[in-house]
Amino acid sequence: MASENGSILKQFTDGIVANNPTLVLLLGMCPTLAVTNTVENALVMGAAVIFVLTMSNLVTSLLRHLLQPHVRILVFTLTIATFVTIADLTLRAYVFEVSKKLGPFVPLIIVNCIIIARAEVVASRHGVGRSVADALGCGVGFTLALTLLGAIRELLGTGGITLLRESGWHWHLDPKVFEPHAWVVMIMPPGAFLTLGAVIGVVNHVRARRAERGGK
Amino acid sequence: MRKFVRESWLILALGLVFATLLACAQTAFQPRIQDNQARALNEAIGLVVPGTVRTERVRVEGYDRDVFRCLAEGQTVAGWAVEAVGTGFADRIRLVVGLSPDARSITGLKVIENVETPGLGNKIAEEAWAAQYRGLDAGRPIVVRKRPPAADRNEVQAVTGATISSTAVTEIVNRALERVRPGLERL
Amino acid sequence: MDLGSLAAVFVGVVFINNFVLAQFLGICPFLGVSRRVDMAFGMGCAVTFVMTISGVTSWLIVHGILMPVGSRLGGPESLFFLKYVVFIMVIAAMVQLVEMYLRKFFPALYTAFGVFLPLITTNCAILGACLLIDMNETYRNSLVKSAVFAFGGGVGFAIAITVMAGIREHLRFSDVPKPLQGAGITLLTACILSLAFMGFAGIGK
Repeated sequence: MASENGSILKQFTDGIVANNPTLVLLLGMCPTLAVTNTVENALVMGAAVIFVLTMSNLVTSLLRHLLQPHVRILVFTLTIATFVTIADLTLRAYVFEVSKKLGPFVPLIIVNCIIIARAEVVASRHGVGRSVADALGCGVGFTLALTLLGAIRELLGTGGITLLRESGWHWHLDPKVFEPHAWVVMIMPPGAFLTLGAVIGVVNHVRARRAERGGK
Repeated sequence: MRKFVRESWLILALGLVFATLLACAQTAFQPRIQDNQARALNEAIGLVVPGTVRTERVRVEGYDRDVFRCLAEGQTVAGWAVEAVGTGFADRIRLVVGLSPDARSITGLKVIENVETPGLGNKIAEEAWAAQYRGLDAGRPIVVRKRPPAADRNEVQAVTGATISSTAVTEIVNRALERVRPGLERL
Repeated sequence: MDLGSLAAVFVGVVFINNFVLAQFLGICPFLGVSRRVDMAFGMGCAVTFVMTISGVTSWLIVHGILMPVGSRLGGPESLFFLKYVVFIMVIAAMVQLVEMYLRKFFPALYTAFGVFLPLITTNCAILGACLLIDMNETYRNSLVKSAVFAFGGGVGFAIAITVMAGIREHLRFSDVPKPLQGAGITLLTACILSLAFMGFAGIGK
């Protein structure tokens, strides 16, 4: 676990790189596999998680002196469930189509290990500033990881990246060139496992090399 | 009792606060959400029954899904929109079938929900494929063929490589029409 | 309610829409616990049990409490925004009960499970089962179909995790490249398993 006593800024950046919840800590794998079939889904899920994580860490940090051992987990869970419901209502109101595609995974944020883990490890022990920084860092790290996976899968799977917002704006990339050769399997379940496994492999390799070089 | 209160007052208090918060969020967002849900269906109806300006939900005897009377400008009946659901190759398929005012012929078809194989089965959601249903006789079963449909026959051509998905859609349509038309003609 | 449609529900959720390999539920324990076949099977059984009771209980609460009370307030669906909170509380309570029950009557089993039991609460497969039952029109109004679905979900999970454990036991003797050890190779194996299970699609017809 990277610096517990470093600056608040470091807490934030650690969440993105050194403690990236998806690629380093390997937490919250279920949504990672499920919603990375398109970049759009990944971004919306990322936004939802940033919201819930931040609010959860904020509230937990504010209540940290009142927490008793028996009820801690219950308090965390109740808080998270509430903010997830709010996030879900918001998504259904403003990005209805995407929220349908995300299916049960928005409410599943409630049991996403990332949020409970950060509440337990950081928010229940530190002040509001650090807790919020950590939440934002992990949330952004999660979003970046998911967007990367989503980009790979969508690009290889459909030959383009489409961000079809409800407002009608979309950005398409090179569809005609790739479409005949698209690997449809990438946007289906096996593709999810494959992409995540490959990316984690690459990340581990890079980290091992860095550790080697750092040790010299 | 006191021990119980001491240990759980926080949970109870939080529960109350959060429940109130949620109730507020619900009240705030519910109208938009309902609009969104209606919009998807309305767009589909607009596509399958051209000229629709307003719709009224009607109860049709013998058919338990949604049926809409579609009204054009000036209150004339532009047609009927029938919602139908069934199983496709992968999971469930939900579609809307448009019928002429006399319920004799099909004015359009739109698959609104499907999780068929991307690139193959999910071509059933495309305009070009669904357009085949336009003008077909709603009184006879529609048949799926692997070659272009013959003129004067109630036929559609399956999506290449997605025969099961195509057949599923047709079966859903046939079953729905069979069950809804008797009750519809009485309206 | 005929046996045929119940069988279809069961087969559908175990093979075609396998909770782990097709719907991505329960991935954390799938990646973490699947190292030994006996532990994996045990976890699978525990999850199936908790999933079935949680699924049934949440259904009962939604239909027996939320809807009638909601009807008095503003409409049967007016209290639905409390659903997620209800589901997770039910699951937490069920796991607690199972834990207490095991500790009292089957202490050997209780020690065998160790830390896994409380971990089942955060297993997304359980909450996922409750959510899917609620979201799917086919099951939402039928207690029996929901129960079969929840049970089948657990069975599918158990099969996936046990098969994966079997494969990983063999993998221990293979030469896996260092960056892929652990999560990497498990995910790649899951990819192939998932492809295999995709072959089941269409048997529903």
